[in-house]
Amino acid sequence: MIVPFAHVLLFAALLFVMGLGCALARRNLIMILIGVEIMLNAAAVALVGGSAHWRQVDGQVFVVFLMAMTSAEVAISLAMVVYLRRRRGTLEADKFDGMHG
Amino acid sequence: MTALPQFPWLSLLIGLPLAGALLCLLQRRSDGECRWLALTTTLGTLAVSLWLFVAFGSGGEGWLLREDAAWIPRFGIRYTLALDGISLLLVMLTAFLHAIAVLVAWPEQRRVPLFMALLLVLESGLMGVFLAVDLVLFYLFWEVMLLPMVFLIGIWGEAGRRRAAIRFFLYTLAGSLAMLLAMIALYLLHGEQTGSYSFALAELARTQLTLTQEYLLFGGFLLAFAIKAPLVPFHTWQPEALSESPAVGALDLTGLLLKTGIYGLIRFALPLFPHAAQACLPLLAALALGGLFYAAWCAYGEDDVKRILAYSSISHLGLVVLGLAAWNATAWQGSIVLMVTHGLTTGALFALVAMLRQRTGTRSLAELGGLWGAAPGLSACFLLFALASLGLPGLANFPGEILVLLGTFRTQPLWALLALPGLVFAAAYLLRLVQGTLWGPAPAGRGAMADLTLREWLILIPLALLTIWLGLHPAPLLTPLAGPVQAALGALP
Amino acid sequence: MNESLLFLIPLLPLTAAVLNMLFGMRLPRLVTETVAVSGVAAAFLLTLLFWGYADGEGTRATLGSWLAAAGVEVSFALHFDALAAAMTLMVTGVATLIHLYAVGYMHDEDDYARFFGLLNLFVFAMLTIVLADNLLLLFLGWEGVGLCSYGLIGFWYRQTENARAGTKAFLVTRVGDVFLAAALLWLFALTGTLEIAAINAQAAGLAPAVLTALTLLLLLGACGKSAQLPLMTWLADAMAGPTPVSALIHAATMVTAGVYLLCRLFPLVSLSPDGMAAIAVVGALTALYAATCALAQREIKRVLAYSTMSQVGYMFLAVGAGSVAGALFHLFTHAFFKAALFMAAGCVIHLAGGENNILRMGGLARRGPRELLWVFVAGALCLAGAPLTGGFFSKDAILLAAYTEGSPLFLVLWGVALLTALLTAAYTFRLVYLVFAGTPRGAVDPHPLPWLMRWPLWPLVLCGLGGGLLNLPPLFGGGEWLTRRLGGLAGRAISATHDLEWALGALATGLVVLGWGLARWRYGRFREGRDHRLGRWLLRGWGADALVEALLVRPFTAISRFCAIGCDRALVAATVDGIARQTSACGERLRLLTTGRVSTYLAAFLWGFLIMLGWFLLALVR
Repeated sequence: MIVPFAHVLLFAALLFVMGLGCALARRNLIMILIGVEIMLNAAAVALVGGSAHWRQVDGQVFVVFLMAMTSAEVAISLAMVVYLRRRRGTLEADKFDGMHG
Repeated sequence: MTALPQFPWLSLLIGLPLAGALLCLLQRRSDGECRWLALTTTLGTLAVSLWLFVAFGSGGEGWLLREDAAWIPRFGIRYTLALDGISLLLVMLTAFLHAIAVLVAWPEQRRVPLFMALLLVLESGLMGVFLAVDLVLFYLFWEVMLLPMVFLIGIWGEAGRRRAAIRFFLYTLAGSLAMLLAMIALYLLHGEQTGSYSFALAELARTQLTLTQEYLLFGGFLLAFAIKAPLVPFHTWQPEALSESPAVGALDLTGLLLKTGIYGLIRFALPLFPHAAQACLPLLAALALGGLFYAAWCAYGEDDVKRILAYSSISHLGLVVLGLAAWNATAWQGSIVLMVTHGLTTGALFALVAMLRQRTGTRSLAELGGLWGAAPGLSACFLLFALASLGLPGLANFPGEILVLLGTFRTQPLWALLALPGLVFAAAYLLRLVQGTLWGPAPAGRGAMADLTLREWLILIPLALLTIWLGLHPAPLLTPLAGPVQAALGALP
Repeated sequence: MNESLLFLIPLLPLTAAVLNMLFGMRLPRLVTETVAVSGVAAAFLLTLLFWGYADGEGTRATLGSWLAAAGVEVSFALHFDALAAAMTLMVTGVATLIHLYAVGYMHDEDDYARFFGLLNLFVFAMLTIVLADNLLLLFLGWEGVGLCSYGLIGFWYRQTENARAGTKAFLVTRVGDVFLAAALLWLFALTGTLEIAAINAQAAGLAPAVLTALTLLLLLGACGKSAQLPLMTWLADAMAGPTPVSALIHAATMVTAGVYLLCRLFPLVSLSPDGMAAIAVVGALTALYAATCALAQREIKRVLAYSTMSQVGYMFLAVGAGSVAGALFHLFTHAFFKAALFMAAGCVIHLAGGENNILRMGGLARRGPRELLWVFVAGALCLAGAPLTGGFFSKDAILLAAYTEGSPLFLVLWGVALLTALLTAAYTFRLVYLVFAGTPRGAVDPHPLPWLMRWPLWPLVLCGLGGGLLNLPPLFGGGEWLTRRLGGLAGRAISATHDLEWALGALATGLVVLGWGLARWRYGRFREGRDHRLGRWLLRGWGADALVEALLVRPFTAISRFCAIGCDRALVAATVDGIARQTSACGERLRLLTTGRVSTYLAAFLWGFLIMLGWFLLALVR
């Protein structure tokens, strides 16, 4: 493998932290969703890297599953975002506190 | 007799009401049909228990009947039911009082199928409690009988029912939690010692415990049973639960549920932790005596008829516990007999109060009075059961009371002497109750009142006959007890 | 004949009671009355028929087992000996006459079935006391008579006072029952049996202190039923019941149950000199106390009630002085003449238009039937102890027994008894003068009395007058039949010289005459008395009721109020509710953590993750 495994992991970690920062810092629901997607992709990168490193196909299979799941998730969540936007007229995450105690 | 052990009579006692309950819920035709179904089921159960009584009423040592099957082998939990003289009496009482209870509940109009189903589940749970000798099975039934009662109070009760139901539920649940913890601890200790993990009563009774362990575990069991019985500092749920519950609930609660506490004490707490129990006897006696007088005083100061009866129940159970604390066969037999007869007399009084309330719309002594002129039959029954309750010789409570006192005096003269003024106390509050309801002028503005209907006579006549018969001839109660009580006391150090 | 037939004596009245209670209102009145009377009368005839069974040691009969538990064996068993037989005969005989009287008396009462049912049940319970072979069965009767007395005192329950008087009677006597129960428990613990004969046989082996304590317990138990000091407050109020009830229960039979109990257990009681002294002191003091109270009473039945208390006091004195025969002798004569007096008083009240107050009567001698005057005066003479009446002989026997006992204490008690005899004569003739002499001061409603209210008085009065023949002392040519009949049960033999007996008899006669003179001087012609303090105090029974009220009833009620309202509802409920409230307050605070915002939750995820990460790293480093 050309790229050392450590670099792959470092890259995945950076990507994950960036996604996390995005999910935590932003208040817009779409941006939070993008952050979550980035985190999932970071995990996928780590899995592919691992698969290449150990010469095992499992990791790549898992990534395929992950991609399918991500697309499903995006489809549902974006639909909900559109619905919420129509219903409430905003995408500000803190405005949705209907489950407070 | 040889064919008898093969047939699961004991499971039938539990299963029959349960099946009846299911049928009640499933059939959707009419309320009336549901009532008849419930009555048939309870009468069937009564027939089975009568048959057991005929077969085993002569008593004997050891278990008269036993059923055993693996249930959750991984944890050493078995489905073990067993019948001895003590449980035989309580099973009889349960079956009998539930047949009465269905009749008492007959006029109920709201959600009859659910009501009857709950009543039958309650019967099933009670049967289980009185028959189980596996601790987990016992605990299961212990909680099974709690839930229907909570719903009976919470749905069909009087004005303050919600609060009373929740309080009853939480209070007793807290107690049973302590018992559950103690059970598990005992199970683990026993398993560590012997290597075989089991919840069977006979196995666990052989566990070697240090005194501290015994105290702690006994405390857990005692808390559960003291709350259920109830002994005095733990009684606060009871007057409220009794006064807010529907007539059937009060009858069941006072006639049977409270007895499970005492029964648990006799069957589980004392044999499992004999040393701790014996060391705690003075404490138990002090609680019993304190409760006897405190509750009697409370009853004298109350104005609400149902609360007076509730306190009288606590007061009587004080005497029952005193008999247990006296730790000899005479007093124990007296305690158990008193427990059974108290179920009959106080249950009857609660049924009568329900009839009274139905006619007058009040349960305050200040607004009652002069009943004899209006409804002599009802009043005569009321007087009879009140007199039985105050321990008049020749009526049902007397044999138990005098045996408790005779037995207690033998080992602990002081306790018996301290308990004796209770005779006057009981007379004081019960005669105040009688005075307030039966005598005096009828309150102004009360219209004409019907005397007892056929259904009400059907409720009261069996109770009255039993009250008189058991007062003059308590042998059917005493004979089955002789063996188990001797065995229980003999096994204890 | 089979001895089990003896059970018919108590069971016949019981059957009548059950029949009347269950079906009385559905049957014609005549049937109910016939059942009631014939049940008791049959018991009387049976007692006569079985009289021979009481000879010697008497006869025991067992019907079956009652209580058979570990170490306890009690059966339904009767012991028909001389003492029990004599008492049974008296109880059934007097009860039969009173039942007949009651048929007349309750003629206008609608609720007659309850009345006769309870009255029959009472006879059953009383006979159970008398015949019981063991203490537990005696206790059954003991509580049973209390119950019937409760039901009959409050018979006219629509007036709250009547029902209250019944409750009071039940409660006060139950205080006595507690002591009796204590004695019963103790005797059982000591001897292991409840059979009276066995207990009496074993009594000699008990320690003296124990015997004294037991005697005192029995005495207090007897005091409750017999209305002796200090448990006497209920009897005067018990007059709220119908007059036949007062005659039967509160004069002739139930109030003498205490005396009978002490006689039954006399072999035990007599072993304790201190206990005997206590019995005599209680009896003498009650006799004096009640006689003084009777002097000031205004209601005719209350006068008689206090006089009953006083006469029962004499019987206690006799038991204390060791003379069971004397006690029983007085018990019998008293039962006859007091029942007659009560029934005559019932007629008087009838004629006075329901008036109870003797200050508003008078003149009945001329306006009322002559027959009533004779009966009443004859009864009064017996009560006062006029020479040659039954009351004279029986009271004399008691005075003699107290005098010959020998100790200084008994001499004092003898003096008290003499003083009481004077007072007895005084209040008895006061009653006679106030009711019969002079002109009517209130409504008189002269109408013919029902036949059944008149003739049952005669046998009783004749028995009262001639009652002396029962136990006529040799001085008057008698053979002391009762004493001989009782044999070993008669207690101490009283021996006195004829001179002493003459002297005492003369003294007693003198006192009667003196008492009569006093009453004649004060009440011969009616004068409106001034309302003075002493009179009011005596009227209120020395303020005993107020004392009990202040010392016992009010604190009891206060404590019960405190327990029910103050303690149980407020205090205990507050602690329980407090725990609940704290728990929900906790939840309230924890609730704030749940903001419902996604960002907060995400931040919480992160922190949780970091903490876990840190934890694992720490573990790795370790």
